[in-house]
Amino acid sequence: MKKIFLIAGICFTSHVCLAQLTTTLVVVPQPPGTLINWGTKELTYIISNQAGSVIRNFIVKAELKESNGTVVAKTNLAKARVRTIGPATLILYAADVIPLEVMVFTGRHKTSLERTGKLPAGNYELCLQLVTPIDFLPFSEVRCRNFTLAAFQLPIPMMPANEQVLDAEKAQTSVMFRWTPVAPRPSELVKYIVTVFEILDRQTPMQALRSNQPLLTKEIIGTTQYIWQPQLSFAKTKVWADDIQADSLYSKEDKAVMDSVDVTTFIWTIQTVDSRGVPFGDGNVNSDGISEPNVFTVIKDRRKIKTGPPLRILYLNSMKNRRN
Amino acid sequence: MKNKTILITTLAVMVCTDIVAQETATKKPPFSISGTAGVSYEYYGLSKKPKGWTGFSPRKPWNQVRFNFSPQMQFGKNFSLPFNFNFAMKPTNYAGPYSGITKQSFGQFITNPMNSFGLNPKYKWAELQLGTQYLNYSELSTGDIGVFGAGFDLRPGTYSIKFFTGLSQQGVNFFTGPPATNGAYKRSNWMFSLGKAKEEKYEVAINFVKAKDDSTSASPPPLLIKPQEGFTMSLVSKVFFNKGWYVKMEGAQSIYTKNLLLPLDVTKASFKPFIEAHTSTVKDFAGDAAIGKKGKNLDIGLKLKYIGAGFQTPGYLFMLPDRFDYTLNTRFNAWKNKTGGYKMNVVASAGQRVNNVSNTTLKAKQFIGNLNWFTQFNDHLSLNVSFNNFGFQAPGGINPYGIKNVSNDFGVNPTYTWGNDKVIHLLSLNYNYSKYDERDVITGLVTSNNTHTALLTYVPTFLTKDLSPDFSLMYFRNSMPGFTLKLITFSAGLGWSAAKKKMNFRAQAQYNYSKTNSFSNNNNIIASLNNDWKVSKKLTWTTFISTNQFKYGNEIVTNNARYLESNIRTGFQYKFGK
Repeated sequence: MKKIFLIAGICFTSHVCLAQLTTTLVVVPQPPGTLINWGTKELTYIISNQAGSVIRNFIVKAELKESNGTVVAKTNLAKARVRTIGPATLILYAADVIPLEVMVFTGRHKTSLERTGKLPAGNYELCLQLVTPIDFLPFSEVRCRNFTLAAFQLPIPMMPANEQVLDAEKAQTSVMFRWTPVAPRPSELVKYIVTVFEILDRQTPMQALRSNQPLLTKEIIGTTQYIWQPQLSFAKTKVWADDIQADSLYSKEDKAVMDSVDVTTFIWTIQTVDSRGVPFGDGNVNSDGISEPNVFTVIKDRRKIKTGPPLRILYLNSMKNRRN
Repeated sequence: MKNKTILITTLAVMVCTDIVAQETATKKPPFSISGTAGVSYEYYGLSKKPKGWTGFSPRKPWNQVRFNFSPQMQFGKNFSLPFNFNFAMKPTNYAGPYSGITKQSFGQFITNPMNSFGLNPKYKWAELQLGTQYLNYSELSTGDIGVFGAGFDLRPGTYSIKFFTGLSQQGVNFFTGPPATNGAYKRSNWMFSLGKAKEEKYEVAINFVKAKDDSTSASPPPLLIKPQEGFTMSLVSKVFFNKGWYVKMEGAQSIYTKNLLLPLDVTKASFKPFIEAHTSTVKDFAGDAAIGKKGKNLDIGLKLKYIGAGFQTPGYLFMLPDRFDYTLNTRFNAWKNKTGGYKMNVVASAGQRVNNVSNTTLKAKQFIGNLNWFTQFNDHLSLNVSFNNFGFQAPGGINPYGIKNVSNDFGVNPTYTWGNDKVIHLLSLNYNYSKYDERDVITGLVTSNNTHTALLTYVPTFLTKDLSPDFSLMYFRNSMPGFTLKLITFSAGLGWSAAKKKMNFRAQAQYNYSKTNSFSNNNNIIASLNNDWKVSKKLTWTTFISTNQFKYGNEIVTNNARYLESNIRTGFQYKFGK
C-alpha cells in the first residue's frame, strides 16, 4: 500500500515539474505607499507557458513581508480568482496579483491601510507563486522582489504664501515662486510644472484653477524655485470693478481701502509629473499630481494721499475683517 | 416621553420668540432693484518671429465673451430675488474634470466651473438655493466646490437648517486627442447642516457632506481616475467672549472610497445608509482649533490644524492630508502720537507645519515666520521693515542626506513725503534681500541662491489738478553658482479725468532689460491704456488695451526671437436701481 502511495507521489511530482511555468516578477524600487495606486508601472508578473503545454488553471499566491521577515499580508486563497493560461504568455499587474479584496493584512499594517489606504513606510519583500485551485499545490517557483515604500508627499507651494499681497511695482518685473520638493526625494527624476491662473472678477479661486487658461505653465527640473517675469500690466486688469456685495461685506473704512486699490488676484500651484509625464505619487488626492494651491494678490495703490502703513497691510487687514 | 415633550415645547417657544424678534418695523418700498448686468469681450493676439518658433505659447483664449446678470430684486420688506448668472462662451479648462474639452454638451456647459447660474429667492428667513452654488459650511466639510442643483437655507430665529443637492461635474469621456481629454465621472453631491447661532455670542453646527461618482457615466472611462464616493461629518463650534476673546473648534470624520469598482467589504467601516464600505474605503479624522483676542490695537491668536493621512472630503478638492500645523499670529499698534493715533504697527506670525505625520521616520518639518514692522516717525518719514522665513527639513530616509531648504527674505522700505498746497511728493526706496539654500540629498552640497531687489518710486500728487503720475525704477539681481540674472525695469504711469470726470483714463508704459550670464540682453516693452467711461448714470463702458513686445538676445537657440502679445478687454456694465 505504502509503495502505491510512493509511486503515485513521484508520478504527481514529476507531472507538476514538467508542467511548471516560467515566471518573472518586476517591482519598481520605490512604488507609492497607496496600494490602490499601484498600476501597470509598479508591478508586472509575467507567466510563460511552453508551447504545446496543456491549458492550466491557477491562482496567484502572494505574500508580503517586512525586511525582518514578518508577514504583513497573504492572499486568501479560498477567495482568490482562478485564472487560466494556455500555451502563451500572460502578463498580470498589481490589481491582478495583490487585489485588496483577497489580501489579508495584519496588525499595524491593517490599521494603517484601513485609515489611510497606505502601508507604513519601510522596506518590504513581495513573493509570488502560482498554485493549483482547490488544493493550492505550488507549480511554479517562488519569485521575490524587494522594494521600499517611501510615502511621498507632493510639493507645498511656499512663496508667494497663501493670501500674500504683493506690490504691483515689484511684481511687474518679477514674482518669485518657491515650493518644497517631493519628500522624500524619489529615485526617478520628477518634473514640477508651475501654473499660475488669473482669478477673474466674480470667480472663486477654485473656479479659476478649474476653468481658466493658465497665464504661466513652466516645467522645472532639479530645483524648487522659479522667477516669473509676468509681462503683464497690473493697472486695473479687472473689467468689472464694482462689487455689488461690497457694501454688505465690508465696513465703511474697509470699503474705502478696497476702493483705493487696483487688484489682480492669482492662484498658483505645482503639478508634479514623472519622467513619462504621468501625474506623480502619493498624497495625490485627485490623481492629477496637483498640490494644494495658494492665492496671491497684486495691488496698485491708487490713493490720492498715501500715508500710514503700506497699502498691502491695510488691504490684508480689510480682507480679514470681511464679514462672513 | 415627558422630557421629549418639554424639549420640543421649549425649542418651539424659542424659535417663535426669535422670529418675532426679527420682524422689525423698518418700512421698505414695494419694489426695488439693485445689482448689475453686463457683457464683455476679450481679444488676445500673439505673433512670433521667426515663423514656426515655438518658444512662447499663448496665455489666453483668442476671443472670449463673458456675460453677467446679477440683479437683486426686492419685493416689499420680506421677499428678495437675487440672480447670479456669470458665463463665458468658450471653455478654457486646464485643470480638473473638463480639462482639454473643446465642445461641451449643454449639461457640461451648465456645470462647467467657469459658469454660474444661480438663483436665491428669499422670504424672511427662508432661502431657496437654485442652480450653481458655492456653499461654505465649514473649513473641514465643504467650501470650495461649486454644485448645480437645488436646496435651501433656513434661519428661523437662532437656528439654521441647510440642505443642498446637485451635480458638481458631468461625465466626460476619455479621449486620446488631439486635444486629449482626461475624462471624468459624473459626480452627485449632497450636503446638510443643522446649527444654532447667536451673532457675536456663539455658533454651533453639525455638517454632513456626501459625493458619489456614477461609474457608468463616462465611456470610455478615464484612464487615471477611478469612480469615488466620500462622506464627511463635522461638528463646528465658535464662542465669542467679552473684550474680543474667541474660541473656534471643528472636528471631522471622513469615510472615503477611492475606487467604487472594487467590491464591497463588510469588514471595513461603513456609515449606512450614507456610505457602504468597499475594499478601497478609508476612514480618518481631522480637527482644527483657534483661540485668540481681537481688539482695536491688539490682535493675538493661536491656530492648530490636524488633517489625518486618510482624511478626504469632497468639499475641498485639493486639501493636503497627513499634516499638523500650528501658527501664532499677532498684530499690535504702539507708540502714541500727538493726535492719539499710533506711530507703530507690527504684524507677525510664527508657526510650524509637520508633514507626513503618519510616518514617524519620514516626518518633514516646515518652519514659517513673518514680520512686518511699520513706523511713522513724523509727518514726512516712515519706515517699513519686513522679514520672512521658511525652512523645510525632511530626514534622509532612502537618501544619504535629508532635504533641507531654507528661504530668508529681508526688506527695508523708507518713505519720505514733502510738499505744499498744490503738490505732495512721495519718494520711496524699497530694498529686499532674499536667500534660498537648497541641499542636494545625494551629495549633501548646498546651493545658495541670492536675490537683491531695489525699487525706487516717485509719486507726485497734484492737489489742484486731475493728473496722477507715478514713476518707478527697479533693479533685480539673482545669482547662484554658474547663473546670474539681471533685470532692470523703468515704469511710468499717468492717470487723468476728462468729460467732467466721466472718463477716467490710466496709461502705463514699462521697459524691461534682462540679461542672463554673458548672453546678450533681452528687451521688453509693455504699454497699457485703461478707461472707465460713465456713459450715463447707470451705464459704464470699460476698456483695457495692452501690448507686450519681447525680444530675446542670444540666450535661446533661436537667436533674436521675438513675440508681440496684444490684449483688449472691453465691456458694458449696467447698474440696476438708483
